[in-house]
Amino acid sequence: MNDTSAQPTRRIPITGYFARIFTGFVSLLKGLKITFHYLSHPSTVVTQQYPENRATLKMAERLRAQLTMIHDDNGYHKCTACHICEQACPNASIHVAERAKPALSKTELDTFIWRLDSCTFCNLCVMVCPFQVLQMKSTFESSVYDQRLLIYNLSRYAGPTSTVLAKQADDEARKNAVEPRSVYDGPTALNGFFLAGIPKELLVTLDRKGEV
Amino acid sequence: MVSSEMASSVLPNSLSHTRAGIHISSLDERILKGQTDSKERADRETTQEYFVNMGPQHPSTHGVLRLVLRMDGETVRDVIPVLGYVHRGMEKKAEYVGYRQQVHFTDRLDYLSAVMGNWAMSSAIEKAMKTELNDRIETIRTIVAELTRIQSHQLWWGVLGMDLGAFTPFLYGFRDREKITAIFEETMGGRLTMNYIQPGGLMFDIHPDFVANVKKFISYFKPLIEEYEELFGGNVIVQERLKNVGILDAKSAISLGVTGPILRASGVAHDLRKLEPYGVYAKTKFNVPVGTVGDCWDRYQVRMQEMRESISIIEQLIDNVPEGKHMVMKFGAKIRVPEGVYYSQMETARGIFGIFIASDGSEKPYRMHFRTPNFNNLWAITQMAAGGRVGDLVAILSSIDIVVPDIDR
Amino acid sequence: MFNSLPNLQVSWEVISVSQRVSTTYGESPILAVVYALAAIVAIILFMSLTAMTLVYTERKVAAHFQCRLGPMRVGWHGILQSIADTLKLLLKEDIVPDQADKAMHLFAPVLCVLAALLALIAIPFSPYLAVSDMNIGVLFISAVSGLGVLGILLGGWSSNNKWSLLGAMRAGAQIISYELSATLSILVVVMFSGSMKFSEIVQSQDQGWWIWRAPVVGLVAFLIFLVASTAEINRTPFDLAEGESELTAGFHTEYSGMRFAFFFLAEYLNLFIVSSMGATLFLGGWMPLHIGNLTFFNQVMDLIPPGLWFALKVSGFIFLSMWFRWTFPRLRVDQLMKLEWKVLLPIGFINLLLAAILTLSGFYFFPGNS
Repeated sequence: MNDTSAQPTRRIPITGYFARIFTGFVSLLKGLKITFHYLSHPSTVVTQQYPENRATLKMAERLRAQLTMIHDDNGYHKCTACHICEQACPNASIHVAERAKPALSKTELDTFIWRLDSCTFCNLCVMVCPFQVLQMKSTFESSVYDQRLLIYNLSRYAGPTSTVLAKQADDEARKNAVEPRSVYDGPTALNGFFLAGIPKELLVTLDRKGEV
Repeated sequence: MVSSEMASSVLPNSLSHTRAGIHISSLDERILKGQTDSKERADRETTQEYFVNMGPQHPSTHGVLRLVLRMDGETVRDVIPVLGYVHRGMEKKAEYVGYRQQVHFTDRLDYLSAVMGNWAMSSAIEKAMKTELNDRIETIRTIVAELTRIQSHQLWWGVLGMDLGAFTPFLYGFRDREKITAIFEETMGGRLTMNYIQPGGLMFDIHPDFVANVKKFISYFKPLIEEYEELFGGNVIVQERLKNVGILDAKSAISLGVTGPILRASGVAHDLRKLEPYGVYAKTKFNVPVGTVGDCWDRYQVRMQEMRESISIIEQLIDNVPEGKHMVMKFGAKIRVPEGVYYSQMETARGIFGIFIASDGSEKPYRMHFRTPNFNNLWAITQMAAGGRVGDLVAILSSIDIVVPDIDR
Repeated sequence: MFNSLPNLQVSWEVISVSQRVSTTYGESPILAVVYALAAIVAIILFMSLTAMTLVYTERKVAAHFQCRLGPMRVGWHGILQSIADTLKLLLKEDIVPDQADKAMHLFAPVLCVLAALLALIAIPFSPYLAVSDMNIGVLFISAVSGLGVLGILLGGWSSNNKWSLLGAMRAGAQIISYELSATLSILVVVMFSGSMKFSEIVQSQDQGWWIWRAPVVGLVAFLIFLVASTAEINRTPFDLAEGESELTAGFHTEYSGMRFAFFFLAEYLNLFIVSSMGATLFLGGWMPLHIGNLTFFNQVMDLIPPGLWFALKVSGFIFLSMWFRWTFPRLRVDQLMKLEWKVLLPIGFINLLLAAILTLSGFYFFPGNS
């Protein structure tokens, strides 16, 4: 500014040449004392040795790092393929593929595609789900060398929900109603364009979507 | 008036044309090309001025901010910020997603005040929907917002240390900030971008250990503020570096639209928590720290004092969090906001964060505008840094405490 | 005027490597050449080992100042980290900016190391271990270490980068200014001991170190030397030439790979040189801690070999320097000059005057014995 003279300035008291050197010197010593305290007390070290402490590492229960689909003890989920999570997702990270020929219900889930690469972990899909099908887990080690490996399939079978299946007469009927889907629920070795659990055509369209 | 003065100081007198967003006089242009003769140069000044790009890749621009400096030796003559390196089209994007989905965008503006951004967005929607919140929600929101303010200031303190050349405070700041992020992680499931405060309440109720952990943190951090002051604030070098550097008087601060600790350091006691109380701030007692001169040292003092005030606010609230539900609205995928124009603003760690919504009654906003504090605060640098050294510029930039994604949106 | 001082009682026999080589040369020239070559290899080995150890120590010390652990992966507690880093730097691509002055860009780091290497010649590690014990040792080191600034200036200039140039100019102004104060404080010791020869300066501290034996002036001179030497080797709070937060990396912004490693090597060698200067001049060098005529105490101290004494004192000095670096912020460029010309230099001159008076009047501890 041109009018610096008009601006207020801080008055630094001139308490004498040697007094200022002395107080400055003392302030430096105080700082040295604090840093030396930390050096001489190795117990103040706060960092963790991460890959080594894997066994004892405990993440917060609510930490959102990985979307999973809850499957009960029999391996059945409750997803009705209602698409509400897909609508709630702010950046189209979820793609719910319906089964082409539903066996028992009107709509049945085929594959539940979740894209970790574009997910913002906002938790909206989990919150809006009317059947509590989804869950965020704290398993955070999801780094891979290829972005395509971050596309997950969360459903283990194509077919109706566990409630519908429970109404079936016997195991045979249940078996006929479901069609196993290979789950891709974590990084695997890079295998060209093919990813276990995710149809090749879908992967290509998803890739194109991601480009936009 | 001040802005015209500013313009005259920033821009050389004879404007000929613009290059790369910088106004360059014809003489400057010829000096740059080396086409001037010695007499011409001697007429102007005895030394040759030059331009330097500080950023977009520079350690102390705190992200991808580019400052074009017109320098004379070590002295900075002009600073011209060039923006847009992290422009993500947030406002346009907001027109394509529903209201429920807007909240998590605010995490990604000022990511150090993420919770306050969530709150501003939620309260704008709540205003539109005329939702009444219970005391539990308001109290938890206030506590969490004050924790956010502390962690933001802790990070600022560390980064200021690093920008002044001391690396150790940087890690001390992060060490103590880690305690707060751990509390956040426990309750909100996120450490930086939590998407915690939702229209109509909170995403989760507080964790059972939340109150105990916050108390533990306060007793841990209270003595450490004094240690911060002893290690860094009391240091003679720091005082020499900050006092009388980057002075911004109250009048210019107001006309530049500067808010937050910078405005208060210039002597204007403007704090939305006092002036238009939201949350449960009206029920709490706290002071608004104000500076006298408006230099970097005042900004340092104001922020340090704000940390103490935030602790006192949390202490007043943490013992009696009222009972109640943590969400009073149905958590559906879509929210339909009645037609109209809504505005809500919050005092974040950096200043006023405002959200403007123009709704046409549909699921998506017709227009969304974010009034971000850093954008206005940054422009104060053109006034503060001119005439200082490079080292001063770094100190000033650090004392503004910018978050670049918040500027570029 | 120094004739009034009593002659030194030489209690330690000092033989330097160069002396040894010249004595051997009379008997067998070939052996002398082998001897000299071995000395050169030893110096180069010593140089790289010192730098590596110092880098590792600095990282560990800094880590613990900052509540961290530092390198932990390569070897036990990361002890081999420096070797891994050196290998990495050796294998890295050598990038030279397009518009740089190629020859100068290459020459600058070499010059820096060369200056440090030359200074290493005169340093007395122990009575039997010094490459050369010249009669103007102090002057030699002051002169030669000033050469290093030329390398920094060249590096900054030839990089063709404005940040580099700023850093180089800062370094030039800073090192030349602080050389004055450093020399003034060294002169105090030279005056008291009556010699510029390192072996004699060390021997003159047989009765006690000059830091306390010269009342007050010794301590003041030591403090001035501490500040000035920190500034001379560009370490925080005087690291303006690099000034990471201001100038990205200052004069070595455009350096990478082995060229950068050479700057790094020179920086740590300079730290060692300055520390050994401080230890030799003010803390008695390799001389064990003796206090006046306390015979028993002195004999106990003599049990520790002089080489170890030297190493301990130098380590102490280096630790002090690291302690400063990881505690203090950086000064601004004009404050740096203010500190030198308005504070250190006047105090240095007054101190020198007082020291002269004290020397002439013999008013210091144990004047008659040395």
